[in-house]
Amino acid sequence: MNNNSAKAGFIRILVTMLLSLGIGALFIVGIGENPIDAYVALFKGAFNGKLRLGTTLAGFTPLLLSSVAFAVAAKAGAFNVGLEGQIFLGGIAAAYIGINWTFLPKPILFVACFAGAAVVGAIWGFIPAALKAYYNVSEVCTTILMNTVALYITSYLVSGPMSAGTANAQSHPVTVTLHQFMKPSSANLGIVIAIILVLLVIFMLYKTTWGYKIRTVGTNPDHADFVGINSKKVFIGSMMLSGALCGIAGCIEVLGVHGYFLNNFATGLGSNGMLAALIVKNNVVATPFMAFFLAVLKAGAMGMQQSTGVPKALVDTITAVFIIIATMETLIQFKEKAKKKAETEKKEG
Amino acid sequence: MSEYVVSMSNIVKTFGTVQAVRHGEFNLKKGEIHSLIGENGAGKSTMMKLLYGMYPINSGEIIVKGKKMDRLDPKTAIEHGIGMVHQEFMLVEELTVLENIILGFEPTKGLTIDFDSARKEVQKYIDQYDMEVQLDKKISQISVGEAQRVEIIKTLMRGADVIILDEPTAVLTPQEARRLFEILKNLREDGKSLVFISHKLDEVMEISNRISVMRQGQYMGTVNKEETSPLDLTKRMIGREVFLNIDKSYGKAGKTVLEVKDVWVSSNKETSKIRGMSLHVNEGEIVGIAGIDGNGQSELIEAITGIRKVEKGSVILNGKDITNFNPKKVRDAGLAHIPEDRNKRGLNRTMSIVDNLVAVQLDEAPFSKGMMVQKADQDKYAEEKVKQFDIRPTDYNLPTSALSGGNAQKVVVAREVSMGKPLLIASQPTRGVDVGAIEIIRNTLEKAKKEGAGVLLVSAELEEIISLSDRIVVIHEGKITGELMASEANENNLGLLMMGGKESK
Ligand SMILES: Nc1ncnc2c1ncn2[C@@H]1O[C@H](COP(=O)(O)OP(=O)(O)OP(=O)(O)O)[C@@H](O)[C@H]1O
Ligand SMILES: [Mg+2]
Repeated sequence: MNNNSAKAGFIRILVTMLLSLGIGALFIVGIGENPIDAYVALFKGAFNGKLRLGTTLAGFTPLLLSSVAFAVAAKAGAFNVGLEGQIFLGGIAAAYIGINWTFLPKPILFVACFAGAAVVGAIWGFIPAALKAYYNVSEVCTTILMNTVALYITSYLVSGPMSAGTANAQSHPVTVTLHQFMKPSSANLGIVIAIILVLLVIFMLYKTTWGYKIRTVGTNPDHADFVGINSKKVFIGSMMLSGALCGIAGCIEVLGVHGYFLNNFATGLGSNGMLAALIVKNNVVATPFMAFFLAVLKAGAMGMQQSTGVPKALVDTITAVFIIIATMETLIQFKEKAKKKAETEKKEG
Repeated sequence: MSEYVVSMSNIVKTFGTVQAVRHGEFNLKKGEIHSLIGENGAGKSTMMKLLYGMYPINSGEIIVKGKKMDRLDPKTAIEHGIGMVHQEFMLVEELTVLENIILGFEPTKGLTIDFDSARKEVQKYIDQYDMEVQLDKKISQISVGEAQRVEIIKTLMRGADVIILDEPTAVLTPQEARRLFEILKNLREDGKSLVFISHKLDEVMEISNRISVMRQGQYMGTVNKEETSPLDLTKRMIGREVFLNIDKSYGKAGKTVLEVKDVWVSSNKETSKIRGMSLHVNEGEIVGIAGIDGNGQSELIEAITGIRKVEKGSVILNGKDITNFNPKKVRDAGLAHIPEDRNKRGLNRTMSIVDNLVAVQLDEAPFSKGMMVQKADQDKYAEEKVKQFDIRPTDYNLPTSALSGGNAQKVVVAREVSMGKPLLIASQPTRGVDVGAIEIIRNTLEKAKKEGAGVLLVSAELEEIISLSDRIVVIHEGKITGELMASEANENNLGLLMMGGKESK
């Protein structure tokens, strides 16, 4: 990717962000509230004070991983709707290891939790990818179905064999946890791990032969095979990477946020991650920023609802507007045309 | 009103920093065929896309039938009777011919599409201009020539009387080209005005009334056909003469690099399209495959290169049995391959020139080290290749989608011949490139041969086959009908074998 397209990408997100907030403001005016107050409240709700800021960061972490995971799969041409299932299974794997493998010294147990989560997530990405590559079964369908399967597997485990016997379906506490640095919020060191992983993924996509192959397969699989890149393997590989990232997201949730496996903990993480990536057309550099913006909206919504009369559902409206605007490619083209016209007029003048 | 149906003057068009058209002039009289010629990247396609309203002009003036066009888009262009048959077709593969023709402005009867009246109207054009098409076949089942006729009918149905044809003959066999010319002449007789773009000067000389020349985005003048010659046109286009007769070297052919033994292959449409072909290519020789397009040459090449399954028989490359290997393994065994279709396989249009140039050797030094891409070394290589093959524009970080047809072809050729593999398969290597580039590409093939590579050449141009090959294999309906030394081959005896050896024309 060259600088120009990155720059254009950023300008695009910025413009769409402002526009969607603007349209959101119209709605707020419509229900008779002051949009500025509402947005200030939203902002405060997301950033004001240790607890709130920490909660925002804690919410951002899994979203960051799942959105980039979606984008990576998309770069190879895969539509990974299975993020959520991969997060669930990664979480349960981490919980199992963290509870039971206490014979390992702590540092190694940490690594084992992450590795186990990544492997299980990768396997959950491998299955639909292989079905697609070798039998042409749509990965969209299989990943959706496999989400349900994953959810039931984990529900069964935490209500049965792995249950702590509490009223809520949850597991025993894990014996290793990620340090929470902004108590009382659950923000934890997982965010550092997530950021490092995302940087590695971006680096991989643009600086390594692997990334080159992923991008080639995603844009023209016929050409990829023609020049000797095995498009099936690359496709499967990127889905596995995507699954592994999600698995790690699940691991961070278990080790960092809850300290045990909580039934249904990942609900919504998959679709929001997908959303963040889709809005910026799977641009991996822009995706993290989009994920952050969504995390802020979600985290601030409650604060806004409490201190103004604006319901927190407004945030969903803003997100929806966001999607609509982002898909309206024409808008940008319109802008470019206008720019070119201005240029010619300058020349002629 | 002036004598012109179309007049474009002082046209300027830039794409970012690329000046596609610096100063364009073009006008069209009613009832003439006006050819537009020039080197690859001269701006021919761009000029015509501007007329068809596909991009806005930066400055200049376009007048259609006396009316100045301020804001032109394809819809307005069509309303003013302009139609365009593009270099790359725009038909929906899975729809029938008839459906494609009426797509977008279906005649209706109540709420349903009135196929009967549509069929009648289409039939009218078919009869009037003698354009044979099978209305109920799917696009995926018809030949390129027929698809082109469908495109022409489409423009007529939309009321076009100005029809732009961008390199229509580049994808046609000589026989199909002849047919197209008959149709074009019929259209002209009927008062339609036609724009014809081609790199083949003999065609231009045959069909045009007037000829306009462009060079590097500049209008270089217009001449009447009677007042010019191919030599004169070449000079106007390039500013020098071009000699396409390469001095063929007759080295000693060495050991066998490629051996195809009694191979059977299916096509997309029929099983066992190729029935028992055997041929071989030696080191240091060029073997040409002559045949009318669609007689199995594509399937044969795809089978050898691992893209298509071999039903029966075996393929041996460099002493190794590579039958039904995947493309990567075939390449590893020593193959370089210029595919016939640059857009589908040859290039990744979303990626840059340099990315495309190194695509095959990405995992090798110096283009990568371990997993790491070595961008600096890639750039150095790209700079060299861009110069060697005269790829324009020279900015190798541009995406290949921004390249003109011929320059895109040069990128593919540059990538494949630069590897020095023992076997080079070249399918239609000069399709759509200008004379200057044909010279470069042919010399490159000749050089590969001198350096000891075996070359298998497939081309729709008999002239190209004869002048480059040492040995010529002729195929007809999936079988080999004859083999000649190039020295004894001519258009007549080859033509006879290409027809199956039964009748001559
Ligand atoms: N969409 C585009 N974006 C950027 N540059 C473009 C674009 N289209 C064309 N160009 C550039 O404009 C110049 C003229 O291109 P054009 O396609 O008109 O050439 P042409 O005369 O049709 O050549 P050919 O014979 O190879 O088809 C080329 O340098 C090309 O790279
Ligand atoms: Mg062109």
